[in-house]
Amino acid sequence: MPDPGSRRRWLALAAAGGLAAAAGYGVNLWWESRQAGDPPPNAAAVQALLAAPLRDMQGGTKAIETWRGKVLVVNFWATWCAPCRQEIPEFVRMQERDGARGLQFVGIALDQPQAVGEFAREFGINYPLLIGGLETMALMRESGNRAGVLPFTLILDRQGRVAKTHRGVLKEAALQTAIQPLL
Amino acid sequence: MKDRTHQRVGRLRPFVGRWQLFCLLVLLLGAGLARAAEPDLLEPEKAFRFSARLKDPGTVEITYQIAPGYYLYRKQFKFSASPAEARLGEPKLPAGKMKHDEFFGDVETYRGDLVILVPLERADPGVAAMTLTAVSQGCADAGVCYIPQEQKARLQFTAAGSAAAAAPSRGLERDGAPPGADDARIASVFAGGFWATVTKFFGAGLLLAFTPCVLPMVPILSGVIVGGGRHVTRMRGFLLAAIYVAGMALTYAAAGVAAGLSGAMLSAALQNPWVLGSFAALFVVLALSMLGLYDFQLPVALQSRLADASNRLHGGQAAGVFTMGVLSALIVGPCVAAPLAGALLYISLSRDVVLGGSALFAMALGMGVPLLVVGASAGALLPKTGAWMESVKRFFGVVLLGMAIYIVSPLLPVAVHMGAWAVLLIVTAVFLRAIDPLPAGAHGFERFSKGVGVLALVVGIAFAIGALSGSRDLLQPLAGLRTGGGATQPAETPFQRVASLAELEARVAAAGRPVMLDFYADWCVSCKEMERFTFTDERVRQRFGSIVLLQADVTANSPEHAALLKRFRLFGPPGIVFFDAAGREIEGLRVIGFQPAEKFAAVLDEVLRYQRTAAQ
Repeated sequence: MPDPGSRRRWLALAAAGGLAAAAGYGVNLWWESRQAGDPPPNAAAVQALLAAPLRDMQGGTKAIETWRGKVLVVNFWATWCAPCRQEIPEFVRMQERDGARGLQFVGIALDQPQAVGEFAREFGINYPLLIGGLETMALMRESGNRAGVLPFTLILDRQGRVAKTHRGVLKEAALQTAIQPLL
Repeated sequence: MKDRTHQRVGRLRPFVGRWQLFCLLVLLLGAGLARAAEPDLLEPEKAFRFSARLKDPGTVEITYQIAPGYYLYRKQFKFSASPAEARLGEPKLPAGKMKHDEFFGDVETYRGDLVILVPLERADPGVAAMTLTAVSQGCADAGVCYIPQEQKARLQFTAAGSAAAAAPSRGLERDGAPPGADDARIASVFAGGFWATVTKFFGAGLLLAFTPCVLPMVPILSGVIVGGGRHVTRMRGFLLAAIYVAGMALTYAAAGVAAGLSGAMLSAALQNPWVLGSFAALFVVLALSMLGLYDFQLPVALQSRLADASNRLHGGQAAGVFTMGVLSALIVGPCVAAPLAGALLYISLSRDVVLGGSALFAMALGMGVPLLVVGASAGALLPKTGAWMESVKRFFGVVLLGMAIYIVSPLLPVAVHMGAWAVLLIVTAVFLRAIDPLPAGAHGFERFSKGVGVLALVVGIAFAIGALSGSRDLLQPLAGLRTGGGATQPAETPFQRVASLAELEARVAAAGRPVMLDFYADWCVSCKEMERFTFTDERVRQRFGSIVLLQADVTANSPEHAALLKRFRLFGPPGIVFFDAAGREIEGLRVIGFQPAEKFAAVLDEVLRYQRTAAQ
């Protein structure tokens, strides 16, 4: 084996191998990305969640499905949850802007009604707020939030089907991407 | 004109090499990072592991093991006890860490292990037991908070009124030195400083250097060094080895970070057929050229121009060796030993890529130390050019072909695998003149070489017969020919197979006894070691009698398998998880990686003892 050839050969082989391995790895990750992640929301749990009568801020009860027919953004939050507070001003803005086009935010607070009322006044919340209890938490966990964390947001299309679930703070851009096709 | 071409080639080559590597690493990283958008969150009871016991008759000790990347608020704890005869005093909460919050101002938080002492007063000494209810609330750095968690523990008073071990609803009471869950314990190593952590992982790498994960790299590296250049000096050998190790370690760290962030099964990603296949094919091509079966002949003019440059350690070869190192990382991939699992757990929980990645890199460097020794000694031991060198090259050509078979072996049926070995050994034997007659006055070396050839021929024929007669054990190719079934094969461990979470839950619920769940895959070296050396041990088999044995074979890596692994936060086999008779996982007793029989038997004892404590 003459030496001069070996370097070029090395390089060609190494390049081919490297690219092939990278491609394989990439394809594999892509393939897995389709399988990994939280279990998808349980459709029955979501329907039960939409139908459950919840306390509203006026002292009556309402179910989320009162607003069926609109593009629904159901946001689970609490006043003691710092990341939840971060995203609410953005929700208020978007409700203001796109409410007329059929966008409807609904806040489900897992909290004390009094604290929620004070918070709503302070932040000028312009969409309905409902108070969730233990059963709401259980249904929320089955609806794509196994770990039971806040904030958690469910986006439903006009037929009440889940279009997206998100745990953690929802950035405005991501929210826009999810709701614009539904409006 | 001639000179200009030469220069251009000389300059372009290393440049191209670096670009490929750069792209490869970016690809690896990018593929992993692209999926890290939504945080991968622990269930609250795992993020904040709760346990409680009576420290003494007047004090309850409550412990929270807080996972890295999670914290609890000091102000949110609430403790209560029932019945009313047991009264709790003011909890003694240690000072927390101040965290500035844009909404709440400065708040006091806890991370790591938290111990809270609560004074206890018993109005009526006749009360035999109490139930402690603890409420806690915390958040994750990833930007979410957990709803307040309520956890209960039942604490028992002994008749004499002295302290008794409690059986908390979760968490495990142990006496003596706790073995601890391998991965969680390693993840807690990260609590130390940056350099302390990195040093510890380097040490762990050194310990792993002599496992079956790293040994296959020795022939690869030797082959690379021998095949690459004419004059292998000690310095050059060492340098090539260092470049190789650097490539391996960088890739290992990058892939580890990607796996940690994405939660993907690292080994499965590295062990997929395309990667293995292309790597093996590369080996075959290299080996054949080392065997002199063909040459990529370049135009003579170009050859002479390149000749003088090739004696130096030039960018071209360095890049080649580096890339071989990059690819070799996939050989280490399947060795999910405890340090790797711990580091992955830490990365996935804390998202601290820098520390997690550095730790993995240090560990891979530790594993590479013997390779540096091999590189330096190859430089010192190998002969200079000549007929000898040709023989050495051929030898490594054969070794590389063997490596190619080894690498793809997880993908092949045993018969094909054996057949491949048979072909390689028999052909090698023929080249060693195993079936040519020796000339009358043969040299000692010729006789020796014929001896080796005959040996290769015999083993090769044994493999061929084994492959054709349906033997399934590479170490006993002729076992199938034994007549009358002499009971030499130890009985297989009676595992029941589980393939999905639902199936597992059903089996665990129906067990009524402690359960052991073993994650297995065909490519998992330490799983096979466990089966062969540990599970066959008499002490272990004895204890297996009182345990329900389940095994999940995740070789196929289906979505059900991924869900099963995810449920236990494992990044792939090996991993052994235990449940008590009530079907709850016994946290803290996981076994990850190979364990000798004695140690494993001790773990099984813990499992059985835990069972008795909980049954009281």
